[in-house]
Amino acid sequence: MSESTEALLRVEGLSTRFFTEQGQVNAVSDLDLRIDRGDVYGIVGESGSGKSVTARSIMDLIESPGEITSGEIWYRNGELAAAVEDDHGHAVDGSFVDLLEIPERVRRSLRGTSFSMIFQDPESSFNPSLTVGEQLAEAVEVQRRASANPRSTRARTRSEEYSLGSFVLSTMLPSKRYVSEESRERAISLLELVGIPDPVERADEYPHEYSGGMLQRAMIAQALAGEPDLLIADEPTTALDVTIQAQILDLLDELKRETGMTILLITHNLGVIARMCDRVGVMYAGEIVERGTLADVFDDHVHPYTHGLLGSIPDVERAGGRLEPIPGNVPSLLDREMGDRCRFADRCPKAMEDCLSHPPEVDAEGSDHHAVRCVLAERSYDESRALPDDYFGEPDRPAEAVDEPQSDDEPLPAERTQPTLEDAGGDGS
Amino acid sequence: MSYAKFLVKRILQGVFVVWGVVTVTFALRAAAPGDPVNLIVDPGASPELREQIRREVGLDQPLYVQYLEYLQGLVVGDLGFSYQSRRDVSIMIAERLPATLELAIAATIVAVVIAIPLGVVSATRRHEPADYGATLFSLVGISTPNFWLGIMLILVLSVQIGLFPVSGRPVSFTDAVVSLVTTGYAHDLVTWLRHIALPAITLGTYFTALITRLTRSGMLDELGKPYVTATEAKGLPGVLIRYKHVLRNTMIPIVTVLGLQLGTLIGGAVITEAVFNWPGLGSRLISAIYAVDWPLIQGIIIVIGVGFVCINILVDSIYAYLNPRVTDE
Amino acid sequence: MISDRLKANLKREFDRSLMAKLGLAIAIVILLLATFAPILATHNPTTTGQFDEHGNSYPPWGVTHETHTWEDGDDGRERISYTAEPSPDHYLGTNNIGQDVFSRLLYGARTSLLVGLIGTGLAAAVGVPFGLISGYYGGRIDDSMMRIADVMLAFPSLVLAIALIGVFGRSEQFIPDPIVMAGFADGMPEYAVLPGTVTLVVALVNWVWFARVARGEAMSVRSEEYVKAARSLGANNRTILVKHVLPNSLTPIIVLATIQVAAIILLESALSYLGFSGTTLSWGYEIQQGQDYLATAWWIATVPGIGIVLAVISINLLGDWLRDSLDPNIGGEGGV
Repeated sequence: MSESTEALLRVEGLSTRFFTEQGQVNAVSDLDLRIDRGDVYGIVGESGSGKSVTARSIMDLIESPGEITSGEIWYRNGELAAAVEDDHGHAVDGSFVDLLEIPERVRRSLRGTSFSMIFQDPESSFNPSLTVGEQLAEAVEVQRRASANPRSTRARTRSEEYSLGSFVLSTMLPSKRYVSEESRERAISLLELVGIPDPVERADEYPHEYSGGMLQRAMIAQALAGEPDLLIADEPTTALDVTIQAQILDLLDELKRETGMTILLITHNLGVIARMCDRVGVMYAGEIVERGTLADVFDDHVHPYTHGLLGSIPDVERAGGRLEPIPGNVPSLLDREMGDRCRFADRCPKAMEDCLSHPPEVDAEGSDHHAVRCVLAERSYDESRALPDDYFGEPDRPAEAVDEPQSDDEPLPAERTQPTLEDAGGDGS
Repeated sequence: MSYAKFLVKRILQGVFVVWGVVTVTFALRAAAPGDPVNLIVDPGASPELREQIRREVGLDQPLYVQYLEYLQGLVVGDLGFSYQSRRDVSIMIAERLPATLELAIAATIVAVVIAIPLGVVSATRRHEPADYGATLFSLVGISTPNFWLGIMLILVLSVQIGLFPVSGRPVSFTDAVVSLVTTGYAHDLVTWLRHIALPAITLGTYFTALITRLTRSGMLDELGKPYVTATEAKGLPGVLIRYKHVLRNTMIPIVTVLGLQLGTLIGGAVITEAVFNWPGLGSRLISAIYAVDWPLIQGIIIVIGVGFVCINILVDSIYAYLNPRVTDE
Repeated sequence: MISDRLKANLKREFDRSLMAKLGLAIAIVILLLATFAPILATHNPTTTGQFDEHGNSYPPWGVTHETHTWEDGDDGRERISYTAEPSPDHYLGTNNIGQDVFSRLLYGARTSLLVGLIGTGLAAAVGVPFGLISGYYGGRIDDSMMRIADVMLAFPSLVLAIALIGVFGRSEQFIPDPIVMAGFADGMPEYAVLPGTVTLVVALVNWVWFARVARGEAMSVRSEEYVKAARSLGANNRTILVKHVLPNSLTPIIVLATIQVAAIILLESALSYLGFSGTTLSWGYEIQQGQDYLATAWWIATVPGIGIVLAVISINLLGDWLRDSLDPNIGGEGGV
């Protein structure tokens, strides 16, 4: 576990909403997060809990009809702070910069070079009609161009975007191509770094010629191309075979030890969390309900949801260990259907009258970082104040309210529609 | 399958299609009512003269002999003689081909240069005025008969304003270029441009509209795919995401549809030539039909069929180039 | 065949698409105008010689224009300039031979729709069985049928249509007009004219599109479980084709048919513009007539063109609506 306590990223009060035909969907609400340099921070939760939306909000990949409606994302980067201080003083606090207060263009320039991302499904995350080497080389080129200029950060905050004219020119003159020869060579060495055999030949192959595991390695290589401060891995092993999953986790582990980079790991798999992470945030219905060190969350957890989640890991030691899913469904995130109560109350075995008002986040026992959004942090369960079992109606009512998005172009988090608890755990450890 | 093998297969299929076109046109000619000799000489000519002509043209032979002889001639580029002008059909076609090619190429350039950026803008600025404008334009464009569009262009731009000439092609593109090179004056080239402008717009509008439509819907499909997000995440400039990645993949279905629509381009050229008195193959075909000049009709249709097949093979090769998965199947 | 889900989709798309409503509205108006042309027409569309006192065509309502005529004066023929005024009788003026443009517009709609609908029906009647058989049986039958289709596609539809008309010759079929026969519209032509060769030829040219779509559908349906089940229960191929494969292929065929009506209307207008139609009561023919009078009577060529554009736009909008609601995969669109 890292001893460093220097924060790299502080997310405060982040809310991301989707404005759909069915109404406003509060995908992420009032979320706080602190990721320290060199750490692996895990976010764990069921499908539809807002994990991916959180990651995409940090990457600035939220697209219409989604929008970050409030919050601050403070990113420590002294160079960037100095560069934007003159024009956007209010966005700078020491060496921290609030990413939501700087111009879109500057924010985009951080992609690849400050933050990069590994996606869940490697096969659909590569362009099928360009070679893997070319796509990696593009990522290298982004970084190369960013650092080619000594006053790069400042220049990036002002510079022109790569124009259509330059693109048209590049199709006619090979020397004007976006991707330079040295980037191509670097792409090959990146493939080698992530353990792809015959990288020179493989670089010229297309994604469909790769196996899933190889392609995920290539994606990791692509994410490393910009030497980012923060690598976000969004369910990096979910789409892979079990044996390949372990290999990919080994690779991430090894790369982390070698480069000391910071990783934000998003998964529904507690086994992966236990194996990789220093700190953990447990998400439920768009909120972090409990966060802290691995020990805080695994051993000293307070929130009944965390308890339920951990309880759903099959216990190999107990004979005939069974999955114990938490009864009930992920609640609707439609604004109009959300009450002001604790969002977990309807599934909570320890729901009390106090749970009918929305609990704030409070410190809990354990390390300094342990915080929880539950009344049980401050008082113990009182059966006399418990809500009757049928208080919220039939608990197994299917979550019909949030239907699949009707429009063809709304990249609503599809996971949101999945009503059941996924297989939490079961592998990876 | 290797690329070469793929190409050879397409060419063999192409040869088959050309043979089919030849056979169908031959059958049409044989099925046409009336004695062809009447089309060559005055119906009142003496029986001796008629017999002599019948022998000279080979019409006295059994049909299958005529067919085989026609095929034999075709191999060496001999398409027979026109009934009406007694001239060599291949020459009559060759002298008209450049005008049609000029028109078709100019129209294609107009279409591609306008439509692709328009489609991209329309898809990336969805539900903005630019998108509504482009959508409306493409709807009207695919719904307007090109001959009427041509006439309206003549009405407004030639008759009312006098900006462009009404019809004709006083100078060919090659002559215009030669004149520019030898004399240094662009006068002929300007004349050529002024004359081809309206026909090219007339012929190109349907395709501009069609490609805009296809580009827009293809881009929208493509923009929703996960690899686009992944490409954004690595920080690639927007222009490269839109044009190098997304548009390239959008082009795969567009190229296929355009291959299928090639017949529309050729049919459109025929009628555009009629509107503007453009001296190409199309207007020659129409006058040949009026004159029931079957050797000429047959020759022109075969040349069009060959052109269609060649361009389709080209389209397939572009397709295979754009989509590396094709040759792997 | 038409499931409830499908109906719901159609309704939802219709409710939220202004374009679908517009398309349906225009299409209904055109259909009504064409059907009741004998009643709605102000003049017999074939009556010639309706000119102003100077012997010139009337302009449409609201249009006046400077023109001239020649009259016998004291010193021979004299050029007289005057302003041509519209006639209250002729909404859209008269054409070069003095026929009422509005009435001809209505009758032209009849020809376009008749050829469009009958032509599409014939094309489907040929293409759908061809495609279903080809796709259902597969193998050698499919190969040879698709080679035939390839050859057909190598002919540009307009060129093939012209060549076929060259073989068949022009023809017109007279269909007694029930409205006139019933005595609702005296003085109107007693027969509706259907350009028979053109109708046949547009079908012969366009059946391939139906064959392609039907084939694709048959191929995908063929491997479905219920078809396999029906086959294992001993149903013969014809029964399977008619009872299972056809109904399931219907959705994309309907969408294609809609687009084809538009394509055939465009093709018919092109053929009649080139003078290959059997009737003069056609928008394309009228445009060809008007082309020579652009400088003096621009409305002759302009009005019927607007008719074509509106008809084709409305059908394309309906096609878009169907396609958005049913979302089948259709590759090709026909065109002129």
